[in-house]
Amino acid sequence: MKVNTFTQLVPDMAEQKITARNVHVTYGGSTAIKDVSVDIAANTVTAFIGPSGCGKSTFLRCLNRMNDTIDTCRVSGEIQIDGEDIYDRSVDPVQLRAKVGMVFQKPNPFPKSIYDNVAYGPKIHGLARTKAELNIIVEDALRKAALWDEVKDRLDKTGTGLSGGQQQRLCIARAIATSPEVLLMDEPCSALDPIATAQIEELVDDIRKNYCVVIVTHSMQQAARISQKTAFFHLGSLVEYGDTDQVFTTPSDPRTESYITGRIG
Amino acid sequence: MSIQSKSLLVQDERTKRRNAAEKRFHAYGLGAIGVAALALVLLLTSVVSNGASSFRQTYITLEISLPADTLDKDGQRDHAAMASVSTFGYAPLLRDALQGRIAELDITTALPDKDVADMISKEAAATLRNHVLANRHLVGGVVTLELLADGRIDGYFKGRVTLESAALDGNTSPEALQIAQALADVGVIDTRFNWRFLTAPDASDQRPEAAGLGVAILGSLYMMLVVLVLALPIGVAASIYLEEFAPKNRMSDLIEVNISNLAAVPSIVYGILGLAIFINFLGLRQSSPLVGGLVLTLMTLPTIIIATRAALKAVPPSIRDAALALGATKMQSVFHHVLPLAAPGILTGTIIGLAQALGETAPLLLIGMVAFVRDYPAAYSESAGLFGEAATALPVQVFNWTQRADPGFAERASGAIITLLVFLAVMNTVAVLLRRRFERRW
Repeated sequence: MKVNTFTQLVPDMAEQKITARNVHVTYGGSTAIKDVSVDIAANTVTAFIGPSGCGKSTFLRCLNRMNDTIDTCRVSGEIQIDGEDIYDRSVDPVQLRAKVGMVFQKPNPFPKSIYDNVAYGPKIHGLARTKAELNIIVEDALRKAALWDEVKDRLDKTGTGLSGGQQQRLCIARAIATSPEVLLMDEPCSALDPIATAQIEELVDDIRKNYCVVIVTHSMQQAARISQKTAFFHLGSLVEYGDTDQVFTTPSDPRTESYITGRIG
Repeated sequence: MSIQSKSLLVQDERTKRRNAAEKRFHAYGLGAIGVAALALVLLLTSVVSNGASSFRQTYITLEISLPADTLDKDGQRDHAAMASVSTFGYAPLLRDALQGRIAELDITTALPDKDVADMISKEAAATLRNHVLANRHLVGGVVTLELLADGRIDGYFKGRVTLESAALDGNTSPEALQIAQALADVGVIDTRFNWRFLTAPDASDQRPEAAGLGVAILGSLYMMLVVLVLALPIGVAASIYLEEFAPKNRMSDLIEVNISNLAAVPSIVYGILGLAIFINFLGLRQSSPLVGGLVLTLMTLPTIIIATRAALKAVPPSIRDAALALGATKMQSVFHHVLPLAAPGILTGTIIGLAQALGETAPLLLIGMVAFVRDYPAAYSESAGLFGEAATALPVQVFNWTQRADPGFAERASGAIITLLVFLAVMNTVAVLLRRRFERRW
């Protein structure tokens, strides 16, 4: 298994972007995750791995309060981003989500033009005063998402007409167009072929310079390839969290070892 | 015995039975479609064969002399003075004109004067009077007018009345029909497209040839406007709230169930409700398109709400998630993304609701729209307000005409049904076109 050599370069005491303490989530009485505490560093790719139903996506959706859209969902504990409690009464989830972008499992571009897809976020947040500024933002986001060269001649074509991998990169461009500080990715490659997956992985490694990336993945190879930190979830608990190469080579918990060697999960 | 041991080239018993069942179901399906198609064909044939003739009408062209001494005794050509001469003053002029024409053509007949006069519609005297009052300088001269023929004469040229049936009919006679035929041969009487059927108001029991759908079409149009303006925004707003914003609890479940129940309430109940609330309690004018529109709005709302909610439900949740995750508010995600995608479904639901309302009769009977209305209702008037003047509606007009004795009205009723069906077909076509136009894939 390939071990990411970059991990050693990240200082142990990197600036913590997100700190979660004793996070507990229930859906209408049944517990989804319990007592999760984790620190997520800035300019790092953090991977959440674990078997299906272990709560990694639930925890990810807590970080931008997308769980608010589910009526029966209750979140307790504390999650801070830049030292601010995001579940504080005075926090508007709309502002939070502008700061914490998200890419979903299945590519979900709006059935509008490619340009409008990317421009939507900046428009509603008033990031561009003129059409020219908006054009710059759109081009910049598409370039960062490594999609510009493929779509620059057909920005007015509908976004749903792109291939699956292009759609997902469009969704990434859309998410980074609002200049978030954190980018959450919920199994972004699960619907893609290996070539598109490789493109996205390359992209994630690239955008890490500017963002704090948290990625949920089912592919342990992917976690090992692109992340510096890995968290292993099992049955709603955070079992192990540490540097990716340490988790994959010398896991401290027997459950982690069983999972990454394919005996459970 | 295992399945593998048998040859694939021979169908076993079980497979044969399954294939037979499939073929039977195929036949049932075809049969069901056949019955439905047959019913449609029968309906259309019956309606068209009975009603198509109402779009043609028989006219008599006459040169009528207008003697000044009877029509305008003062000689001032003053409107008020001339208006004192009623249609009874004009009827003899028509009879004389027709008799003169018959004599000119050397048709000998033993028909009494009264029966000759009866060949012209009773409506004709009023037509002539209105024409003369509007063009007073014509008095003392001769005017050429196309006048409606009597319903029986009209029926003769459409094949409804025959010489045999006329012999048994107190309102006409074989001699009158023979004269009419002779007049038709020289072009005095002819049958052509009947615009009056679509524009004229209703007429009394004795003159089916003059009856038209003008007031009914106007009334239906006004009501559809009221329904569209009220039911669309209210229905869509209610659906969006229920589907996207309302908390899912016992209360919203209760509302949901009751909206579905409302869709199944018999329409006449809405009529009683409208009578009690809009007319007796609020004091709105009876027979008015406003009240009719309000009642039909109540009736259409559940249809629109159910269709809109279904359309909103069909928008994939991933679109909402995408918008919310970008930091859009709930309202922005609904109005920027969900609603445009649901628009085709909403439009279709609305037009189906409108079409339903257009064909509704029962509630309108209860709020007095069944009245005989001769005057075109104005959209707005000082005394009656917006859509307050008495009107009737297309389906009510059909109901009305089918109750009248003169066979001429049976033809008119079928003609009105054709008109109603054309309106419905146009609305459904618009629904399909809008759907095609706005439909987008995701």
